This record gives sequence, C-alpha cells and structure tokens, in this order.
Amino acid sequence: MHDESTTRRRFLQASGGSLAMAWLGLHWPEITAAAGHGHEVAAGRIDHEFKVLTPAQVRDVEAIAAQIVPSGVTPGAREAGAVYFIDRVHTGIYAANAPEFLAGLAAFQAGFARQHPCAGPFADLDGPGQIEYLKRIEATPFFGRMKFLTVAGLLALPAYGGNEQKLGWKLVGFIDQHAWQPPFGHYDRDYPGFVPYAKEPRS
Amino acid sequence: MRARLFKPNDTVDFVVVGSGAAGGVMARELAQAGFDVLVLEQGPRFTAADFRHDELDYWFNNSLTNSPDTSPQTFRRSPQDRAERVREFPALWYARMVGGSSNHFTANFWRFHEVDFRERSLLGAIPGTSFADWPIDYAELEPYYTKVEWEVGVSGLAGASPFDPPRSKPYPMPPLPVKSSGVLLERGARKLGLHPFPAPMAIASVPYRGRAACAHCGFCIGFGCEMQAKSSTLYTMIPEAEATGRCEVRGESYVFRVEAGERGRVSGVKYFDRDRREHFQKARAVVLCANGAETARLLLMSASATHPDGLANSSGLVGRNLMFNTYTEVNAIFEHDLNEYKSVQVTRVVHDFYEADPKRGFYGGGGFDGRIGPNPIAWSMFAPPPERSWGADFKSLLEAMPRAMVVATHGTSLPLESNRIDLDPELKDAWGLPAMRVTYRDHPDDLAFARFLQDRGAEVMQAAGAQQVWKAPVTEATGSPHLLGTCRMGDDPKSSVVDRYHRTHDIPNLFICDGSSFVTSGRGQPTMTIQALAFRAGEHIARFAKRGEV
Repeated sequence: MHDESTTRRRFLQASGGSLAMAWLGLHWPEITAAAGHGHEVAAGRIDHEFKVLTPAQVRDVEAIAAQIVPSGVTPGAREAGAVYFIDRVHTGIYAANAPEFLAGLAAFQAGFARQHPCAGPFADLDGPGQIEYLKRIEATPFFGRMKFLTVAGLLALPAYGGNEQKLGWKLVGFIDQHAWQPPFGHYDRDYPGFVPYAKEPRS
Repeated sequence: MRARLFKPNDTVDFVVVGSGAAGGVMARELAQAGFDVLVLEQGPRFTAADFRHDELDYWFNNSLTNSPDTSPQTFRRSPQDRAERVREFPALWYARMVGGSSNHFTANFWRFHEVDFRERSLLGAIPGTSFADWPIDYAELEPYYTKVEWEVGVSGLAGASPFDPPRSKPYPMPPLPVKSSGVLLERGARKLGLHPFPAPMAIASVPYRGRAACAHCGFCIGFGCEMQAKSSTLYTMIPEAEATGRCEVRGESYVFRVEAGERGRVSGVKYFDRDRREHFQKARAVVLCANGAETARLLLMSASATHPDGLANSSGLVGRNLMFNTYTEVNAIFEHDLNEYKSVQVTRVVHDFYEADPKRGFYGGGGFDGRIGPNPIAWSMFAPPPERSWGADFKSLLEAMPRAMVVATHGTSLPLESNRIDLDPELKDAWGLPAMRVTYRDHPDDLAFARFLQDRGAEVMQAAGAQQVWKAPVTEATGSPHLLGTCRMGDDPKSSVVDRYHRTHDIPNLFICDGSSFVTSGRGQPTMTIQALAFRAGEHIARFAKRGEV
C-alpha cells in the first residue's frame, strides 16, 4: 500500500500544475485500472481463458465490479481479479446458478442499451455515468448478486480464481495465518487483566 | 475399545436420532450406562483434517449446513400467507454432520439463570402468548451445567459476573485471552456502570482432556475446528460413547419416520442411507435429538392412521411455540487496529439487562457481547449500512475492517403457538419428503426489547471512544440457528409434548431432548442448556430403562 501511495504522489507531483493534479486525482481509478491491465499483460494473465463469459460480458462484469469496489490508491475489484472469479465459479461452485446469472447479465445489458442507445456497452461509459446508472438498478437481484460475487471475488480463497495475490485480503487487513497469539490488536496490548467487582450483588 | 457395528437385524436398546449437542451427550450417557446405542445422523462424518478456512463454501454455499437446494424450506409470517421457498440461506439453520451444530457454533456457553425457569410466575401471563414456567428449576439443572463445563469443556471465570447464578464448581479452564473487542466493550461498559465479564466459551483455553488448546485462528462461527479445541460432541462425547464398545454412530443416515408399533409404543425408525436405500432399524426405545426443527418435522412426518396428526402430538403442540432468540448488531470503528479476525468470536459479555423489567413497558431480557461478525466476506456483506453498500464509501469501510468491531445483542423470544414448523403441502426435499414450512412473526415486545438492548450496546461503543457507530436495522426475524420450543416440556399433557424427564406424554418409549424441549427461550446461547438437559435426561432415561420402565 505504501508503494502505491508513493507512486500516486510521485505521479501527481511529476504531472505539473494544480489543474492537471486535480484532473488526475479525479481520474485516478481509471488510470490505475489501465496500469493494472498493463500489468496483467506483463504477467501473462491476458491469456486467461474465460469459460462462461464472452469478451463483451467480461468487460461489463469487470466494469460493474470495479464500481462496487473501485480501484484507487489501494487496489479494487479489478486488480483483485474479481471478474476471473466470477467466470470461474460459474463452472464450479456456482455452476448451477450460471443460467440465472447470465440471464440477469443479459437483462442488464439490454436494459442499459435501451436507455443509452448511442452509448455503446456499459463498460465504455465514463465512471460517473456508470455510477449513475448502477444507482438506478442497485435494488435489482442482478446487482445484489454482482455485489456478492464482487465481494467474494475480492475476499474468498484465491483458489476460487479471484483475490489475486491476496490483494482483497490486504485491502481489509486480513492475514491468512493459521495461528495467532495475543496481543491481537492495539487495545488488548496493555490490558492489565480483569479486575473483579468489589460487590457481587446478585439481583 | 472399538466402536460397535450393529448388524441390520439387531434390535438395539436405543436409537438416538441426531448426533449434535444433545445427541452426542445422550449417546455417551446411555452407552456408558450399559445400553446398546445406535446414533443415526443425517450428515456425514468429518475429521478435524477435513475442516478448511473456506468462508465461501461454508458460509455461502451451505456445504456444512442444511442446504436450501436439497433440504428446502418455505417461510411465511402468518397462517394466512402462502409460504415462499427460501432460496439462499435456510430459515432454520443447522450443521448437517456428525456433531451437528456443536461443530459450527460460536461456542458461547451461558448458563440460564434462575429467572429463566420461573418467569411466568414472577411476571404473570403475557396475553396472546404461551409464556409458562418450566417444570424444573435452576437448582435441579445446576449439577448438569457443571457436568457440561467439566466433561464437554468450557473456559470461563466463575464469579466474574455479579449476575451469575450459583454454581457448585469453578470452570475447569481459565477464560480465553481477551481481544481488543473485549477490552473496548469492557472499557465502555465499565464507564457506564455496567459489569462486563470474561465470556464463558466451549473452547479449550488450555489443553484439555486430550484436546489441544485454541490456536486463535479466528474461524469459529460457521466452521469446524481443525484444532479440536472447540468442544464439539464430534471431539468430546461421541468418541467417549464409541469407546464403550456399545455405541455406533452411523452417518449419512437420514431418519424420516418413527414407526408406531404395538401397545402404543414405537418399534424403531426408518431411514435412508447414503445411497438413498430405505432401512428399518428396530429399537426398544427411540430418543429424538434431531434439533428443534427436524425433531418436530420428523414427528409430523410419522403420522399414521392411529396418529393422524403426527406422533406424540395429542396436545397439538408438536412444531408450535417455535422460538429463536432475538439478535441485533451495533457496528463500531475505532482509531487503532483491533484485528478482530483473530481468535475466538467473543471474549467479554454484559448481562446487566438479563432480567426483564416491567418499568420498560415491554417484556424482555438479554445480554450483549463484543465481536466481529464474523469473517471478511460476511462482514463486508452484512455490516455496512445501506448507504455505504458499494462504491468508494463501501471501499473505505472495507479498508477500516481492522479497526471494526460489532456488539451483538441476544434476547428473549416469547413463545407463540402461531410460530411453528409444519409440513409444506407441496414442496418436497431431495428425498421426496415434505419440506419444512416455517411460520414466524416476532412478538412486538421481542422487537422492542431488541431495540432497547441495541441502544445500550451503541452507548457502550460511544463510551469506549468509537469514531463511528451505526446500528443494523432491527427487523422481524427471517430465521435463526437457535431452534427452540417446538416440543415443549411440561407436566400437563394438554399443554406440553414431553414430561420433565423428556419422555413424550403419549408414547412411553419415545423421548425427545434438544432445543425443542425449551419452554421459554432464555436470553440466547441455548447450547449450554441443551447439553445440561441432555445429561439430565440421559441419566433419567437410563434409570428408567434399568428398572424396565421404558
């Protein structure tokens, strides 16, 4: 996290004037997303074969997930590979739900196309436009399912295909260590021990 | 000694249906008393090595619990409503494996207090409810609570709570190490003049009876314990029952009918094996410990020409008076890291509001504890308020998870005859058996008290110095893992299903002991009392059997 924060600060400093800095600040999620894509290419992840989702579906699903847990100074759903998780679980643990999920996705895409006939796919809309549209459909079962799948893609065991490099766990401060010893956190570090009550007035 | 393997045509002394918190104790008590015991458990048998930290599979794919896909349930608010199929989580939730829900529970082990057994006498009737005293009192159950603490294994600090009922022995193990959530709960509560105390937990804080101490991995609620530190019957009672050489625990054996025999007795049970082949197991007596949901369903599924409303149901109360315990949450974010994903869920409890107070204007009592709720996916899905459920604000909340804790409140649920389990007239499970239909609506006093207790929890978090505090909405229950009251205990056969010794009023060789026996709900954390009842019932049933009175 420190590295990314430093990178962001250096990037903004190197970009010159305050207007440019403001613009970059606002658009940092998209910039980091693009950088992340480049990283995936470098890492060979671009060769990942999607089993359930078509390329167009991949783009929309990833765009929705990236609005649920956005990219930024810290990684979001996109960097954690939530879309890979969403594809993979529909051939595995949630294979039985694949038809329902795909039908929901198709309805989402059709609904978006009806309301934005000239906009192209949802994924091509700018960030504020995507947020505005998702707010209108956030009560739908499909969005609820996307919320769950995105969170699970971020935080489930990496073996399910998401939580790339445990980025989701890093985001929430979770360390998958089997055994711990006290102190567990800041507040129990100097706990003096339980002090019994002077009186024991049983009611 | 090796576990017994009965032959298909053997007539066993006892068939125990269910191997969970009650069934495991019952099996051990009866086997150690010298009887042949066959335990039939619908779920599989896992070993410690089988358990994983797979939150997705265990919590969201129901792989350890009853599944809405294969064991569907329907739910409605009132008898006038059409019950709808429950899709993602079971309404009535239990672990489906040898050891039952004692594998995946949080392991909070509160004793009931004296007041829980005689509250109807103290407070009077509550109109529209089945509020009643228990036929036994705390003093009668106290030796069995002690037996649970020592033989199953509970960690705690005797006398720490000024509200604790009398006890005959201290806990056998010291309390588990306090977590930051416990320190903060204690700090806030003491500031407000309350009396927080170390949580009694059925988790080994030190090596105990051949089991390892807790490694503080943090995966308790919803998970099996691969350390064997959680005092599940899988690791405690069942091996001891099998060690007698008189007990067999047969997993993947789904009992679907208790067979009525001659002279008003039962002759055995029918069950499906793992390959869905049907078997009949002969028994001299049957003990149902299948949990407060499945026990009632099994009795209703056992209807016949001579028992048209189901077995042991002359009172008409089988399945009725279902109680859950109310549950609410207060979320809080603090300045520094708590790292609540580490170690057991709960280390401090507050019982200052345990007793009902008529001055509040509504009935109810309970307690609250400090914890996280519970693991990363579940916390992310359930803790954030609706306005921060996705987007940048949601993400900032996720980043605050190390600094988060939850105050969980646990309270009374009044018994209402209209709250019940029965058989869905249309929906079937994967074995072709009638699905469970649940009808449940909280009594207004239950919700009023739940809100009252939640407010107290929020005050404690403020007093502890939380930077942010928000309360989860208190809404009517849609289900619970606390499955209580559906075959209530009592002296009068017209108003109860089992007598004070857990023998059904109607059938002399049919016994029931699990959460269904409860007359009132208590304040939460029912497993301790379920196991104390099972120790007591096992002792009495064995005594009856030795006298030829079964």
